[in-house]
Amino acid sequence: MADEQRVTLKVGFAEQLRDIEVQLPAGEPKPWDARSELKVVGKPHPRVEAPLKVSGAAKYTHDIVPANALWAAVLRSPHPCAVVEAIDVAPAKSQPGVSAALALVKPGERVIFAGQDIAAVAAKTPEQAEAALRAIAVTYKPEPFVIDTAAAMQDGAPLVHRGKVSERSTEGDEPGAGGSAGQRGNVRTSPSMKKGDAHKGLRMAKVSHEATYTTQVHTHSALETHSIVVQWDGPKQATVWCSTQGIFSVRDEFAEVFELKPADVHVHTEFLGGGFGAKFGASAPGSRMGFIAGELARQAGAPVRLVLDRKEEHLCTGNRPDSRQHVKLGASVDGKLTAIHVVAHGTAGIGTGAGVGRNAFGIYSRCPNILVESHDVFTHAGPGTAMRAPGHPQGAFALELAIDELAKKLKVDPLDLRLQHDEHPVRRHQFELGRKQFGWDAGRKQAAALRDKNARVRRGFGVAASIWGDFGRGKAVVATVSVARDGSVEVKNGLQDIGGGITTVVAQVVAEVLQRPVEAVRVRLGDSELGPSVGSGGSVTTASVTPAVRAAAEAVKTQLTALAAKQLGRKPEEVTWSEGQARAGSKSIAWAELCKKIEGEAVVATGTRPETYGAYPVKFMGGNSYQIAGVQFAEVRVDTWTGVVAVERVLAIHDCGRVMNPLTARSQVQGGVILGTSYALTEQRVMDRVRGVMLNPNLESYKIAGARDVPRAIDVVFTPVDTGANNTGAIGIGEPATIPTAAAIACAVHDALGVAVRDLPLTPDRVLAALGAVPTRGAG
Amino acid sequence: MQPFVLSRPKTLAEAAELARASSQDSALRAGGIDLIDRMKEGLEAPARLIELRWLGDAEATMRALGPEGEGVQIGALVTLAQLAAHEGFGEAHAALRQAAGSAATPTIRNAATLGGNLLQRPRCWYFRHADLVCLKKGGTACLAVGGENKFHAILGGGPSFIVHPSTLACALTALDAQVEIRGPEPRTLPIAELFVTPKQDAKREHALQPGEVLVRAILPKPAAEQRSGYAAVKEKQSHDWPLAEAAVKLSLQSGVMTDVRVVLGHVAPIPWRSREAEAVLEGKPPSEALFAEAAKAALAGAKPLRDNAYKIPLAQGLLREVLHRVAGVPLPE
Repeated sequence: MADEQRVTLKVGFAEQLRDIEVQLPAGEPKPWDARSELKVVGKPHPRVEAPLKVSGAAKYTHDIVPANALWAAVLRSPHPCAVVEAIDVAPAKSQPGVSAALALVKPGERVIFAGQDIAAVAAKTPEQAEAALRAIAVTYKPEPFVIDTAAAMQDGAPLVHRGKVSERSTEGDEPGAGGSAGQRGNVRTSPSMKKGDAHKGLRMAKVSHEATYTTQVHTHSALETHSIVVQWDGPKQATVWCSTQGIFSVRDEFAEVFELKPADVHVHTEFLGGGFGAKFGASAPGSRMGFIAGELARQAGAPVRLVLDRKEEHLCTGNRPDSRQHVKLGASVDGKLTAIHVVAHGTAGIGTGAGVGRNAFGIYSRCPNILVESHDVFTHAGPGTAMRAPGHPQGAFALELAIDELAKKLKVDPLDLRLQHDEHPVRRHQFELGRKQFGWDAGRKQAAALRDKNARVRRGFGVAASIWGDFGRGKAVVATVSVARDGSVEVKNGLQDIGGGITTVVAQVVAEVLQRPVEAVRVRLGDSELGPSVGSGGSVTTASVTPAVRAAAEAVKTQLTALAAKQLGRKPEEVTWSEGQARAGSKSIAWAELCKKIEGEAVVATGTRPETYGAYPVKFMGGNSYQIAGVQFAEVRVDTWTGVVAVERVLAIHDCGRVMNPLTARSQVQGGVILGTSYALTEQRVMDRVRGVMLNPNLESYKIAGARDVPRAIDVVFTPVDTGANNTGAIGIGEPATIPTAAAIACAVHDALGVAVRDLPLTPDRVLAALGAVPTRGAG
Repeated sequence: MQPFVLSRPKTLAEAAELARASSQDSALRAGGIDLIDRMKEGLEAPARLIELRWLGDAEATMRALGPEGEGVQIGALVTLAQLAAHEGFGEAHAALRQAAGSAATPTIRNAATLGGNLLQRPRCWYFRHADLVCLKKGGTACLAVGGENKFHAILGGGPSFIVHPSTLACALTALDAQVEIRGPEPRTLPIAELFVTPKQDAKREHALQPGEVLVRAILPKPAAEQRSGYAAVKEKQSHDWPLAEAAVKLSLQSGVMTDVRVVLGHVAPIPWRSREAEAVLEGKPPSEALFAEAAKAALAGAKPLRDNAYKIPLAQGLLREVLHRVAGVPLPE
């Protein structure tokens, strides 16, 4: 085995490039850097699995129906808080088609949200299962509950949890976030983020801004609902199909619940219909799905499908917590920030994790005094969980809109105010790039002119920033690449393709190294027996997987080079590769010919990824990895007669290290912008505060942006950065892409109206209220 | 959803017979948009669906779309997509074409019918929640009162505060349509009489009796220089229920407006004709100031609940916009 080596890498962005030295572990290929000239990686390539998806041939968990499979259905609590006095599932067992029934609560147990698991059945058809639930007899003793975040903070509010709560974190959570600094009543305090003395900074301020900003509960609403199919292959062995972002998290949880060896649980996720942070483990955040399906299958002696419906998906599979953020900003007369102070409360229902991310703390870091305090407020509602950049979109909304409001008081351009306080060179570069490309200066003038005329239809221009870290994981992935005697190339890993396009990118990496066409690389993913891998949370997938794949491909290439050298009668170091041929001197051997000389079936090698070893030019706060930069600009049109906001354009400027495939990367960013637009304009969980139930658990009155709601134009610009992080240079983009969208739209609405709408979503009622058009509230 | 029998009669007489035979436990199905929703939501579980889409030539009236005397007839089975694409509607009936084209989604418009659209049940989230018993489902109170009432009625509410869900109803009311009803005693009503206010009967929204079928709507002969228009404001621009709708019909002759009809939708439990706004406009020349005054008059009687006072300025703004478009007065920038 080779020794450790020091190499020089050319890193940086745009014209700001420099050489750095890094220490590579033994066997690690020299990272692709700014000097690398790649032929396949970084070039647009359509998704290799696209024909399967558009033709319906791709099989999702929803499509998996093993022979003799039964359908499960779950009885859920209609009460937000109640003690179960009695439960009898026996009558369900004698219903037509029913093979098994299971109580999920015991008499005396307290249920604490409407939608909580009560009992489950498995039957031959879904209709029989649903009908059988009605035969289950449950007696509830309803208890007082609290739904509203502000009401839950009051002294004397009904307590959601009777004891200390510890958090349940998943691979979807931001590394380093979480923890507790105490719990009182329904309020659990997170450790605060602190720098300097914000209170003093506010006292010193000559100009200040103080306001409260609120955001709504946002449900993940993946198109494929949570689903799991369990088939017992023996008393201690099972096959599990699961719609998951983390195959190994499903395997480990299922093994733990049923006391199995992880290796005896075989998990498949060949295709996944969306995951935004709520699909980790064998269970959903608010429903013990793995246990239910596994236990019903065990009792029935047949495979069981548990596929949630849309209502259940809204009630018990996680959500983005709401927030109520009190923001105070202080500045000197010449526009220097002296303090940022955010006090945030939010509810993750019965769960934890309502913090507001690093935006306020990490972006405008030239401000010397910053204090961000986050509190979870427990309410009797389904648990929140990580959702695409947990905490960040809500944190960005409050901070960025407050910055805009301060800029207005200071009479400075809000983009200039941002530039003045942001130290990240890539983000500064992005701000300047966007200013020109978006037509910022002219746009702001146009908006001001319409405002001054009190025009009916206004325009507005806004901008906001994104902060995230390169959380690419070392030593987690083992990828296998093989080249067979027939010349075929295969790459394997137990990874799920969450939909971002990793299948294609993996093929591109192998194609690049082995100089084969992308189409000739067979990619096998979605199976726990294909080697260890990461969960797709924290935007880690491409950064974690592609370096391991490259290492495996390079190792195979080394073996093939040795084989070629032998065939050509030369030393391996004399062999070079071009266009898929091995050459030495004047002699060469074609791929097919070379592969025929392979001894045995195939050349096979595995590859892993070392820990991150480069973070140029800026580190993510408190870590050793790169801080990912991004900014988004939004232009809105606001009708002041009806209050309707339309997003005309979004310009999204992001970095994700090396762009591995511009097509799939652009698609990821567009998806992030659409998610953010939907969050900004329409999506909102509505709870009845009197009865404690969700009123819109569907996709009709829970409003997800449609074709007419998404921005008329979404322009995506990448500012590639060579960070030296890993051997492919890839870093994540999934989460950064959605962080600033709603904030930029809210800032644009502020520009259009001249007043801020401080509550998401930016619905017509709020716009009209901000304009002072709504009469004081009506009678009861 | 519970299993059901699907029957496909060829005549209305056969359909009536099937309905009688299955007593209360059957439902007529045309487009099936709202009905299947209610069945999936667990609100209803009819044992038999009687499909009207398979009716034969004997019931051709139910598919008719075209001139009827000097007016226009529209069969109950005509789809929203057909209405939206119908070239026979001129300026006089533009409101109906615009309304049909604005509802739901292209897929739904291809299946949804005039009859089903007029007779659908409300979208109120308390009514639609299977676990909650509201006034319409035999409860003692409208749960929107003291509940989450952002989308509820600001006019004509009480004891129920639903808003009428039909988009076509708003336009057809503005166009003075009549509806023809087949049943034991065939009858034709002005469309306004099809709708039931909650004060009359909080459990229902239309006046059809068991055994009655809505067969067609008839638009009367348009007045000289008649024009009309419709628009809606929605939170979401793709597939959403309106926050408010406005349909306007008027004749513009010698520079003044006559025969003015102003109808607001999704603000009241029935399509809400505003005689106050009509009175402001009737016999006057159109102008921006007059439209603002009419819009104010239209909402003067509004009694908002906790969360829906915004509908007042919103409906005013919308009505002004529609008046500008119909009368051809340029909108202010």
